[in-house]
Amino acid sequence: MPDRTDFYRRLNINTGASEEAIKKAYRLAVRKAHPDVNKSEGATQLFLDIQEAYKILSDPNQKGNYDDGRDPHDSSSGILTSLQYSQTALLRIKEPQIIYSLVDIVSTKDEEQKSADLPLNISLVLDNSTSMKGPRLDILRAATKEIINDLGKDDLVSVVSFNDRAKVLLPSQSQPSEIQIETALNNLYAEGGTEIFQGIEAGYEEIRKHPTLNYVNHIILITDGHTYGDEDNCFDLANNAADQDIGISGLGIGIEWNDEFVDQLCALTGGQSLFIHDLEQVKEFLEHSIASLKEAFSRRLTLEVIPAPGIMMLSAFRILPEAIPLPLQEKYSLGILKKHQPHRVLFEFLVDPVPEKIDRVVIASGEYVIKKKIRDQNIPFTLERMMDSDPESLEPPAPEIFKAISHLTFYRLQEKAQRDIASGNPGTAYQRLLNLSSHLMAKGEDALAKIAMNEANYIKSHNNFSPTGKKQLKYGTMRLLLPDNI
Amino acid sequence: MITCRVCNNQEYQGILFCGECGSQLAFVTDQRVDTLVYPNQNRGLEVDFTQTIPKKLLEESTFILYSTERDEVIEIPEQNEFTIGRFVEGQVITPDVDLNHYEAYDMGISRLHATIRINSKKNKVFVIDLGSANGSSVNGYEIPANSEVPLNHGDVLSLGKFKMKVILPKDMK
Repeated sequence: MPDRTDFYRRLNINTGASEEAIKKAYRLAVRKAHPDVNKSEGATQLFLDIQEAYKILSDPNQKGNYDDGRDPHDSSSGILTSLQYSQTALLRIKEPQIIYSLVDIVSTKDEEQKSADLPLNISLVLDNSTSMKGPRLDILRAATKEIINDLGKDDLVSVVSFNDRAKVLLPSQSQPSEIQIETALNNLYAEGGTEIFQGIEAGYEEIRKHPTLNYVNHIILITDGHTYGDEDNCFDLANNAADQDIGISGLGIGIEWNDEFVDQLCALTGGQSLFIHDLEQVKEFLEHSIASLKEAFSRRLTLEVIPAPGIMMLSAFRILPEAIPLPLQEKYSLGILKKHQPHRVLFEFLVDPVPEKIDRVVIASGEYVIKKKIRDQNIPFTLERMMDSDPESLEPPAPEIFKAISHLTFYRLQEKAQRDIASGNPGTAYQRLLNLSSHLMAKGEDALAKIAMNEANYIKSHNNFSPTGKKQLKYGTMRLLLPDNI
Repeated sequence: MITCRVCNNQEYQGILFCGECGSQLAFVTDQRVDTLVYPNQNRGLEVDFTQTIPKKLLEESTFILYSTERDEVIEIPEQNEFTIGRFVEGQVITPDVDLNHYEAYDMGISRLHATIRINSKKNKVFVIDLGSANGSSVNGYEIPANSEVPLNHGDVLSLGKFKMKVILPKDMK
């Protein structure tokens, strides 16, 4: 551990000096020590020492680390990042080329022990439109009740139901009594249409009753329908929610719900959307969601990636903790960072031909921000590769990234088949799903291969996807992206 | 660019899997990772035509179109560019190759369906769909209208429902 007063001594000031005082002291010290003025032996070293001290103390984040007794040079202390590439080097060729990069971030055990667990602030937003009538609502009621009873004593929970209007059944609180839960859920009955915005807005307001800084905040949306006309309002709200460290995840029941919309909505906050076929899985989904939120190390992780000039980001896909395609943008809200579990994103970049003189290419620069209770932690990284003119000297990609790209290809094939259907080419969609099926079969994914095959045949006779097949294939190939198919 | 061996799709250097058909493009030797997988159902039509195609034709020509259903060579003119279609009485522009002999109407072949362009020096052949009503495909993949699509030895070219095997004798060895 570095001496905590050393840097301050170098600038000849006391610990706890203000920003202004540090700046002043630096100017004074530099003037005295500059090698042009100070000809004595060791002056250069002295000058460098002052520079180093100022560099750390003038940066609030690094200063914070230094004041806390952590190594100031390692601003990422306690957090590890790992960068993998699809190629050991970029090829010196006169045409554009593609490179993939797998970016991981994980917290170390030491770091986790230092920070206390954050309690949850959950809002369950439940669709009670007419279509939910009968077994769907019964199962939802039972699952909700169990989930609430399982929450810890500091956790907050609220329940909102929505059709074309929202109703707060259970206002945000910790440990509601048996009677309160019972009364709330008795008010959950089916009527009206589906307007998702009404629901998530009410859930959002419930969560915001408590300072979001002190909790892991999350809206869990359960729906079985399409929302019409309020999509943009929903996206705006999701962006607002993300800015305030509130995540959204969604569960679609049955075949009617709009998966593309819910995917997009959740992805804005780094949350996940899931499709269940079997009603009994509702409880499993809720339990899984809560359990995974409980593992939060940070209530929110953001990632900014800026490609260098001449380089374009073609796609970004988050692989861990949940597989979701990310919208193309520079700044991502990635939801919570879990303990012991890496957060992993796969990027695809298109690199323009590189000028002769350049040997080392910066592909993109990025920064993670880990939101923590006391202070945010910034972790910068740079994606870069050397140039190589001999394609033979390149080593094959590492298994991990190769597998990720292979599985991404499957996801893309079903996506393209959907586009084929949309643009009126069922023949191409049929062929594509046959290919997908044979690739899946070769990878030992027999169940999914069979679904793809059935879907191909369905398309052959109906010129369209079957109602469930489309969602099964999409979420099935997405799930493959998780390492070891968690 | 890399050309996919299965579906002729062009991909950027560095791409590991064909975006159109999912075939692996880069060869990865690492046994732990994966094996090369090429779907074969879209090519299909693997036939032994050494008996049915005259030896002389195999030795001399750059490009042969072969009907697998009839097991015969489709007659094409000896020129570097020609059109394929279905001749109809009173038609102003007639196709160079008329497929009426192969039940062209039932097969959904347009009057002027496609153009074939041959570069004998480079041993390259291209097909251009002329905006046909039922479209064309190569190895089961619909091709865009009015653009050059390369044909490789062994490809299956379909005009409407009519399937032909592409044979490039110089690529056979």
